Amino acid sequence: MAKTQLEEIDRNIYDIKNKDEYDYKIKKGLTKEIVEEISRQKHEPDWMKEIRLKALETYNNLEMPTWGPDLSELNMDEIATYVKPKSKLNNSWDDVPDDIKNTFDKLGIPEAEKTSLAGVGAQYDSEVVYHSMKDELLKQGVIYTDMETAVREYPEMVKEHFMKCVPISDHKFVALHAAVWSGGSFVYVPKGVKLEMPLQSYFRLNSPESGQFEHTLIIVDEGASLHFIEGCSAPKYNKVNLHAGCVELYVRDNAYLRYSTIENWSKNMLNLNTKKAICGKNAQVDWVSGSFGSKISMLYPMSILNGEGAKTEFTGISFAGKEQNLDNGFKAVHNAPNTSSVVNAKSISKNGGKCTYRSSIKIMENAEGSKSSVSCESLMLDDISISDTIPTNEIRNDNIQFSHEAKIGKISDKTIFYLMSRGLSEEDAKAMIVRGFAYPISKELPVEYAVEMNNLINLELEGAIG
Amino acid sequence: MSSLKLNETPVRTSRNFNINNIKLDNISVPKCLKEFKNVNISECSSKIQIENTINKIDLKYGLDAELLNQVNESSNYRASITIDSKVNKDIAIEFNFDNSNTTLVEAIDIVASEATKSTIVIRYNEKQDVEAYHNGVIRAVAKSNSNVNIIVVNMMNEKSNNFLSIENVIEDNAKINFYIVDFGGKNSITNYYANIKGKNADNKLNTIYLGKDNQLLDLNYIAELYGEKSNIDIEVQGTLKDNAKKHFKGTIDFKKGCKKATGNENENCILLSDTARSIALPMLLCSEEDVEGNHSSSAGRVAEKELFYIMTRGFNYKDAMKLMIRAKFNKILEQIKDENLRNEILERIDKRID
Repeated sequence: MAKTQLEEIDRNIYDIKNKDEYDYKIKKGLTKEIVEEISRQKHEPDWMKEIRLKALETYNNLEMPTWGPDLSELNMDEIATYVKPKSKLNNSWDDVPDDIKNTFDKLGIPEAEKTSLAGVGAQYDSEVVYHSMKDELLKQGVIYTDMETAVREYPEMVKEHFMKCVPISDHKFVALHAAVWSGGSFVYVPKGVKLEMPLQSYFRLNSPESGQFEHTLIIVDEGASLHFIEGCSAPKYNKVNLHAGCVELYVRDNAYLRYSTIENWSKNMLNLNTKKAICGKNAQVDWVSGSFGSKISMLYPMSILNGEGAKTEFTGISFAGKEQNLDNGFKAVHNAPNTSSVVNAKSISKNGGKCTYRSSIKIMENAEGSKSSVSCESLMLDDISISDTIPTNEIRNDNIQFSHEAKIGKISDKTIFYLMSRGLSEEDAKAMIVRGFAYPISKELPVEYAVEMNNLINLELEGAIG
Repeated sequence: MSSLKLNETPVRTSRNFNINNIKLDNISVPKCLKEFKNVNISECSSKIQIENTINKIDLKYGLDAELLNQVNESSNYRASITIDSKVNKDIAIEFNFDNSNTTLVEAIDIVASEATKSTIVIRYNEKQDVEAYHNGVIRAVAKSNSNVNIIVVNMMNEKSNNFLSIENVIEDNAKINFYIVDFGGKNSITNYYANIKGKNADNKLNTIYLGKDNQLLDLNYIAELYGEKSNIDIEVQGTLKDNAKKHFKGTIDFKKGCKKATGNENENCILLSDTARSIALPMLLCSEEDVEGNHSSSAGRVAEKELFYIMTRGFNYKDAMKLMIRAKFNKILEQIKDENLRNEILERIDKRID
């Protein structure tokens, strides 16, 4: 069947560029002076500056990954690691400068805040420009603020948790992150407090040839519950941008955290993000992830199940189009008895894109009675795309149940034929099948975000099916 | 004593996962070899020619360059087997390690001519309890419409080192059924590569392994599908007891152009102790849209309910366990037509589980 290959289409709202205006943009490159300057700009305490300098040293000593996508086009000498926008942190959208506010308006953030969120943070380039939370949560002792404020106002809590879940030496881009981090969110949910509506942070990178290195630190205390959503996007430029964020999640005994991500970086972005959660006794962390943007993505959220009876679920979809190489997956360590992990990963490749599912499930000696079930499915929409599945499973205990299954293939001709016989065009039939393929993920998202994800799928499908 | 880095996966993953290759320290790679004499060949007609001259063998993967060089430059046994009969007849080569034959470095080159049928059994036996060294290469080419069964049985002891590189090329409408019974070796390291290049070419790879004591098994199976409507099925059934450790790396690679190809991979590991360790990396690589690929991998104990059921029928725990494991292995063993060989393998399984 002949296919119509169209050029990649305009990603409409996501590609809107504002003028590259900033209050301060640090010079390109990565040196001790630059790291010190970022720290100075932020008026940080010495302990944080020391963490940054130690991380820089670690970064210089670590080698680039010898696996995964080719990162040779990344030249840190061409990246500005800190861009301070022309706006201070505001508690009201009215105070946010018009061009920045318009961007978030078009992305639907203020509207979502009114209807379905308990709190919102919005980061523009390297700094958070807006942060607010409903008053009743404040009264319950919930803390939701930007990381810089947290360093100033809750230093002991930050010191105890910052770069402890994700050690600086984990890999080169974690070390880079710790050296130049800026922005991000800090959340603390006190014991027993259950948030009924989600909190959301949105990260927008506008400045060309720059990086975003936001840090998200969430502590859900015993018996508490939270749904946190992060979204990210950037307009497309000709040269590479870099995103090396870090997410550290602490889910205490009997607590619950759902962490949802809709990632839609521009297709010149290298997304080298790190996310990790540590779960206590009977705690649960669920990851829901939609990965659509980026030129290269290397992202493997990790759950460390340290408490007896801890659980984790990962539900994720990656959609790679022309010139995209999305190397995503999941990692779980079962480090206590009766822990469980469930993975449901899907990927779609089209128009020459490459999707790789890469994972690691480790069941340790002390994880008696643990269970793990992994399922991944890959769909290829044409014969110029690539789809790989590279899972590692390490079992160190006999009293466990582990299973892994993966499937790869194209849309079944029979199914298309059936739908066409019911009056659908071939395009609509294929789009319906793809949406059905993605449904297990979209159904896990709040309805507004499921709609956004379906829109993204429609957007991605245009030009691929014909 | 050498330090060897062997069995690289075709695609690397994170170094932290400890699966990209296997490093072995203190391996004695013998330099000067005397002829390996304790070899029995059941069928010695024009089909088998024992060659003294050394033809260089090139492998796309193999265990590593140093071990391949050893085979090319100083092998002490070399056999070239040409199948030219349309009637299936078994050929068996049996290598017996004893006090006078402790080192075997061999190359076996098999060519199955067009439209032939054949079964080749290659066995590595331990006749005396010696610390043996085996480094071998088996290469098979199945010409169009041929059908080849190859059965490799490793019954070396747990003191020895077993290194084996296998490469198959499968042409149009040809089929290779490959069976590996992997029991022996302190270190048993196997690299298997199938180039499934023909239209309708078919490769079935069935492995059983049973690791005990401190045995280390590293299995790196790679199947590349190039031919339209070609197929690969990989079935691996294994059991680990004591402190045994197994790495299974299975790659099915659908290359561009292999339209309507199919590939299935299933790996199951039964753990009989809480100190045994199993690592699996079942990979699916795909550059062609119109294919179907599946893999599955599982690990755990023998199902307690089934075990209990068998015990209610009068079996003690150990015998019930043996029965369950035999049943798992039988799925593969029943495809081996030689009943004597099958029974011998089953006996060995019982002994190893005891």
